[in-house]
Amino acid sequence: MDERREDGRPGDVDWRERRGADPSESREAPGGPPTEERQEPLHPAIEDDAEETRRLAETWAAPTGFVGWFTPVNQRIIGRRFIVTAFVYFVLAGLLGVAMRLQLAVPENDLLAPDIYNQFFTVHGTAMMFLFAIPVLEGFALFVVPMMIGTRDMAFPRLNAFGYYVYLIGSAIFFLMLVVGMAPKAGWFNYVPLAGKLYEPGIGVDIWTTMITFIEVSALTAAVELIVTILKLRAPGMTLNRMPVFVWASLVMAFMIVFAMPAIIVASSLLILDRLVGTGFFVPEMGGDPLLWQHLFWFFGHPEVYIVLVPALGIVSTIVTTFTQRSLFGYTAIVISIVATGFVSFGLWVHHMFATGLPHLGMSFFMAASAMIAIPNGVQVFCWIATMWGSRIRLATPMLYVLGFFWVFVMGGLTGVMVASIPFDLQVHDTYFLVAHFHYVLIGGSVMPVIGALYYWYPQLTGRMMNEVAGKISFALVFVGFNVAFFPMHQLGLDGMPRRVYTYLEESGWGDLNLLATIGAVVLAAGFATTMVNALASLRWGAKARRNPWDAETLEWATESPPPPYNHRHIPIVKSREPVWDWREMKERPVVTGLRSDRREVVVTSILDAEPQAVQVLPAPTIWPFLSAVAASVGFIGILFHPIFFVVSFFLAFFSFVGWFWPRRPWQED
Amino acid sequence: MRQYSGADVSGLTRFSKQKHPLYVGILGLIAIELSVVALLTVSCLYLMLTAPAWPPAGLEPAPLLWPSINLGLLIASMAAMRVAGNRITAGDRRGLIVGLLTAVSLHALVLVFRSLEMAAYDFRWDDHVYGSLMWTISGFHFTHVASAIVGTLVVAILAVKGYFTPERQLGVVVDTLYWNFVSAAWIPFYLALYWGPRLI
Amino acid sequence: MIHRTAALSLVLLLAACSSEQAMTAPASEDAARVAGLWWAFLGFASFVFALVIGLVIAAMRTTFTEPAMPIETRRGWTLVIGGGVVLPLIAVVGLVGSGLWIGGVVARNEEPADLTVEVAGKRWWWEVIYRDADGEEIARTANEIVLPVGRTARVLLTSDNVIHSFWAPNLQGKTDMIPGRVNESRLTPARTGRFRGQCAEFCGVQHAYMAFVVEVIEADAFDAWLARQARPRTVPADPLLRRGLAVFLEADCGTCHAIRGTPAEGEMGPDLTHLAARETLAAGTIPNTKGHLAGWIGDPQKVKPGVLMPATALEPDDQEALLAYLTSLR
Repeated sequence: MDERREDGRPGDVDWRERRGADPSESREAPGGPPTEERQEPLHPAIEDDAEETRRLAETWAAPTGFVGWFTPVNQRIIGRRFIVTAFVYFVLAGLLGVAMRLQLAVPENDLLAPDIYNQFFTVHGTAMMFLFAIPVLEGFALFVVPMMIGTRDMAFPRLNAFGYYVYLIGSAIFFLMLVVGMAPKAGWFNYVPLAGKLYEPGIGVDIWTTMITFIEVSALTAAVELIVTILKLRAPGMTLNRMPVFVWASLVMAFMIVFAMPAIIVASSLLILDRLVGTGFFVPEMGGDPLLWQHLFWFFGHPEVYIVLVPALGIVSTIVTTFTQRSLFGYTAIVISIVATGFVSFGLWVHHMFATGLPHLGMSFFMAASAMIAIPNGVQVFCWIATMWGSRIRLATPMLYVLGFFWVFVMGGLTGVMVASIPFDLQVHDTYFLVAHFHYVLIGGSVMPVIGALYYWYPQLTGRMMNEVAGKISFALVFVGFNVAFFPMHQLGLDGMPRRVYTYLEESGWGDLNLLATIGAVVLAAGFATTMVNALASLRWGAKARRNPWDAETLEWATESPPPPYNHRHIPIVKSREPVWDWREMKERPVVTGLRSDRREVVVTSILDAEPQAVQVLPAPTIWPFLSAVAASVGFIGILFHPIFFVVSFFLAFFSFVGWFWPRRPWQED
Repeated sequence: MRQYSGADVSGLTRFSKQKHPLYVGILGLIAIELSVVALLTVSCLYLMLTAPAWPPAGLEPAPLLWPSINLGLLIASMAAMRVAGNRITAGDRRGLIVGLLTAVSLHALVLVFRSLEMAAYDFRWDDHVYGSLMWTISGFHFTHVASAIVGTLVVAILAVKGYFTPERQLGVVVDTLYWNFVSAAWIPFYLALYWGPRLI
Repeated sequence: MIHRTAALSLVLLLAACSSEQAMTAPASEDAARVAGLWWAFLGFASFVFALVIGLVIAAMRTTFTEPAMPIETRRGWTLVIGGGVVLPLIAVVGLVGSGLWIGGVVARNEEPADLTVEVAGKRWWWEVIYRDADGEEIARTANEIVLPVGRTARVLLTSDNVIHSFWAPNLQGKTDMIPGRVNESRLTPARTGRFRGQCAEFCGVQHAYMAFVVEVIEADAFDAWLARQARPRTVPADPLLRRGLAVFLEADCGTCHAIRGTPAEGEMGPDLTHLAARETLAAGTIPNTKGHLAGWIGDPQKVKPGVLMPATALEPDDQEALLAYLTSLR
């Protein structure tokens, strides 16, 4: 296949032996010990035919040219687009955050008018959640998971492309509203009646609800894709209990999206109906209830936090395994914790509503449930510590971000447990204590692992390495800047500073800590900027990555950097949780044969045991997903101006879907 | 590294039905929509149970007759789809077409009855939250029935063109799956909207 | 009662060392309990944080030396179960127990109270109505809540517009004011003083400057204050003040503001019957001085951008008369 295959670093063998030192924990895999394979009679080796490899590449190649921009369906291209677009919004929303910090640096500042400030924090929150956090984690999942489970694409490549265009159109229109000064300004949570037509007469909230629905649709398509791909397209032999933790985390994230996102779709649909046609779901005078909005919003909103946390914890598990060169300690416990987090996160939403005057006893259930979430997260943290125990950790940038994650995430988790307490929450709810808490959780628990993931998977994204020196500088700036920016906010909250205020009085005494927080925010921004510049510069000047540069154990590294269009020359067969490490020990590996190279074929396997069941023929590149996304956009935007667009888009979407799904001739070939 | 063949998949089917990823994908779509149905129903119950009077004072609960007939039609259409699937498995293309068109006609009848029923409401969606719920949930289900109809019409056209065979019938299978969901989704709405006011 | 004395001494101890609007400077037993909860949380969390970071550092100690063998399975599980299950469980039990106990004490809304105050959230100010035992209105004011020390006030929280949240950290946690609902909070101040509160739920463009003051005074002083607040105005004898009232009415101020006893009966804005007795204007934004009052009337947007009060341009003489009248409304 490739002559770069076995150029591991010196010292690898040493690590190999240590990894296997505890067979009862790490090497236990159903189907007997891995040595069994070697004792069987030697299988005839497969030599790759260069002509067939070329044909395979041709079949899976993405189209080129201008029209080609709108037609590719390959999972790595779509995943990369998600990641790049999400980081663009990360930068933009981050700049809004810096602008807000500058406004708050001194009391009674008039850098930003209140109206502008309110637009900024609304867009900052919405964009960080919907335009950055979810898409970037989906992007990494879409990019990495198919390679990690040893297949060649997602189960529905065209749906994948559709999801991206919907996200792109929705997010671009949403952000453009800010440029023309008509962005929503009722907060990312859009509490009614403030977000109702009476108090927010402009088009901002309409655009918010519509664009959020767009981005939800995109998230839901990605979620279904991930679920089906993970359940049905895993490499033969990758039983559920051999799935990499990141794949488990992506699966749980996808299930959470499937059950949480409909709540925000329902909520925002009811809100837009209230605003456009005068229904009364949230209008008390008509028998509606503003609290219904809060229930629906937080029934989505709380799982949402774990939607962006769970896959990030999966990234942490991945990086810890690779950079300690150890089997993950307590794989089963970690997987159970991830699944438990997914379930419990649906029982917590009322803890956002402790101050609404619901009956105290009823809320106590949510107090207990909210505190219980500490257990699965605690288990994961201690499993990582056990994995790292006594190892020689390779202190490259991804690992540094994970170490920073420990500091920041644990502190955010501890304050999170505190605010589960109803009486304490009633004092700090909607204050800067909460701002500090959730930035510790979200930046520590999600953004820092994501930045680590960017450094970690950059070779597979681009074929090059990111600069290590810049990476370490970036980490230092982020870690110091973050803590200087957000730690003082705990005290500000205890001192009574509420959230979402565009300024505060001089007499309040909050000036010094706010100035400190602003200085920290600028340092933090410089840290993130260093990574962004590093990522751009490394595209051109980064060192070429060798195969499997981090000596990782999962299948996305079992191919070249960057991978060819078909990901894996042969779909591999897996016999343990760490296939790449196995193969290096055994110097041979089993693969799947019999897939055609003249059309896009992948192996379908059974859900539990990953036994080959069938072959799925994937569709080729096409413009239809793009046209469908445009059709849906015309309808969703048009409906804000005239109801007839509901009917128009129904038929536009219908025709584009027919074009999308119409079977290819000749039918007999299938 | 040496590699050898551990599994040859050239003989595996390219025509799976229940094992096909699309089947699982449609289940995922149904799970999403089922969540929407559940949340709408729960929202309806929430507003109903917190209201001082339901429906608002001076209104009778909406009549039961037409929605009940619709329920029967929707269930009958599920049976028609099932027959259609069985016919194509037996290689009977004509039976498939007849089954599909029967189901489509039953759904179309539901749309007609629903339109007449909604036209006869003596309240609007912007009168009170009861009206908002009646119109929104009915409209939501109406749209779904309409999209099931147009989707199945496309399947019927493909059937006429001879696309489906006993082997190649994934399109029919997943269309039936979604059809059944759309038809059955009426049950919780029916209970919440029409029986709810009578039972509390 | 011992715990009562203990709580009070805690109040006095901690009140000395914190900023004005801090929950860590409690002025009621309820707030003192929650402040105590915070110190307990802080202690436990610091311990756990130090433990975890210490373990991470200990785990990494071989990074620059020869790596050791992976952790023994048994020891590993001890670590995971001890740190990941037992430790959080202890925290959960303590937290839920304390939360139920203190939360139950704080939320004792059924018990009888000594007086009833209705506070309505407006955009962006607070309407304060004192009611007698039968719910009849005694007096109406704005942005300043005067309470007697040592007595329990039942605070009814309403809103006829957007959602606000009533929060005076020194006295009690926050409670939302939700249209269509009446929520309750209990304030039992344990010491006299002025305590600042602020809206805690984002409520639109001027959420930032929506503050109020709870002034806690001795019980007999309170009775006198309430009696004074209940009195309506009569038409003033002084010609300047009389002209000021005329200016007030001619400039249509009475469309929004009420001065009880005069034709001004507006309900959109704060009741001004005893305006001069308040210490701040514009919901805690500026001090209530003649100069600030003039600036506020002349250009409210400059003081509080987005405020609903329109600017009123007056001739200098009229302005002088109006200011004289308003500053006489003690």
